[in-house]
Amino acid sequence: MTAEAVGARRSPLPLLTRSAPRQISPDFVRISYASAITLGMKSGRFSRDFEFGGINLLLNYDEGCLSDCGYCGLARSRQNVDYGDQFIRVEWPLVGTDELVDRMAERESTLTRLCISMVTHGHAYADTCDITRRIAAKVRTPLSILVAPPTLNRERLETFKALGVDMIGIGLDAVTEQLFRSIRTDVPAGGLKWEKYWEVITDAREIFGPWKVNVHTLVGIGEADQDLIDLFVALRDRQIFSYLFCFNPEPDSRMADHPKSPLVRWRRMQLAKHLIETEGYDAGQFEFDADGGLINLDAPRTAVDAVVDAGVAFMTNGCPGESGEPGCTRPYGSYRPAEPFRDFPFLPTPDDLIEIRQQLRLDDVVRSRG
Amino acid sequence: MSSGPQPRAAGPVVRVRGFDLALDRRYEPATHIWVADAGPGLVRIGMDPLGAETSGTLAQISLPGVGADLAAGRPFGQLEAVKFVGPLTSPVSGTVRAVNDAVAADPGLIERDPFGAGWLIEAELADPAELDGLLTDAAEITAWYEARIEDYVRTGAIAR
Repeated sequence: MTAEAVGARRSPLPLLTRSAPRQISPDFVRISYASAITLGMKSGRFSRDFEFGGINLLLNYDEGCLSDCGYCGLARSRQNVDYGDQFIRVEWPLVGTDELVDRMAERESTLTRLCISMVTHGHAYADTCDITRRIAAKVRTPLSILVAPPTLNRERLETFKALGVDMIGIGLDAVTEQLFRSIRTDVPAGGLKWEKYWEVITDAREIFGPWKVNVHTLVGIGEADQDLIDLFVALRDRQIFSYLFCFNPEPDSRMADHPKSPLVRWRRMQLAKHLIETEGYDAGQFEFDADGGLINLDAPRTAVDAVVDAGVAFMTNGCPGESGEPGCTRPYGSYRPAEPFRDFPFLPTPDDLIEIRQQLRLDDVVRSRG
Repeated sequence: MSSGPQPRAAGPVVRVRGFDLALDRRYEPATHIWVADAGPGLVRIGMDPLGAETSGTLAQISLPGVGADLAAGRPFGQLEAVKFVGPLTSPVSGTVRAVNDAVAADPGLIERDPFGAGWLIEAELADPAELDGLLTDAAEITAWYEARIEDYVRTGAIAR
């Protein structure tokens, strides 16, 4: 027999005179789990032993992001989604902004780079300025913003710079206009504009200067190798970084069943991007098949081997620390800890490089000239 | 999976600096794996709360099948958390007699009930003398646990 059945009484809940406080930006933000570990806000550790000081913040709103990109964990038309603390497959803890800033200030000597990720939302610009001011008042670690172009114009980018932001990232993700439209524009609640993204890239480059702007490029969402390589060259020529990201299917997104890029392709795109951006290779040195797939790299084999052996090409692309050291390294950001590293949050070890060489299968694509 | 009940720790559970510690079983100090008696020649094996806490939010656990061989000091499974993956190392040699399918389906059971429903496997011992190498004495276990917590707080594996 239940308590209800014998007439047990329960005290009624008290009447609320106002709504429960909403835990939204600018007073609250989400941070990556790796950031939370580093700042002592979550327990845990990394599988490998390495220094980590890149703190990633994400604006948080009840409505989420108002864009609807087919691959993104924040897309607003995803069905059956309780955002909870989940974003990009793993937990992104919700924390108070002021407590976060205080913790960053306490640990400033161990931090390498801070980054605020905007989302498409009407309050995002004002809240990003607010959070930037709170950070800049107490923490000297270099600060980037991964911007939401629909919320910005040139004047607002200038304001970011005036507030102390030194680098701007733009999540183009889809590297051709056609792909961008199919995944980010012509979708249920889409509407993002390819032209607007490039307008912001151009304005940011002019305002922030050479090698202070980065464009995120996603590998594995339907683009060809040639599309990526053409963009790497175009951005390099404008002294804009390409930051490579590996598509990682997000449960409940429209691309949840889209396969990840094979490791061999991912490694070759990492290498190609590094050769173009850092070693000065040109588009003419890459040869493609009819589908735009890379079939030949016209370069001295010894030079390519030297680049592979150095290992830097396979590290995470991210904004640097104050002295140019890797700053934002996002460990296990696009792969699970039990999977092979996609990008390394540290310089690959000799054992890692053995695996990388096996994954690259360079003999199939490098036409040796020495 | 064992068809028997899934009791919490039968003996005393104490709180050490905010973490539960069951004193009715043995511990392998390097791996945070506990071993409890489960009948003649049988043991139940699990992970203590510190092992789970310092791994981060658990995501997936892989366990061997019934009948698999165990070797002391060798992996019998794998634990994956948000930013960590590592082996589950057997503290004893023997043969797996039962596997907790519930914990394989929901690794969070280890976090919620590490000494009860969050057990991992049951095994028939090949060499009961191996148990002598584990921590058994309550005072010794408590001192080890306290030292480990201090160490994890210092290195940042425990949030503070």
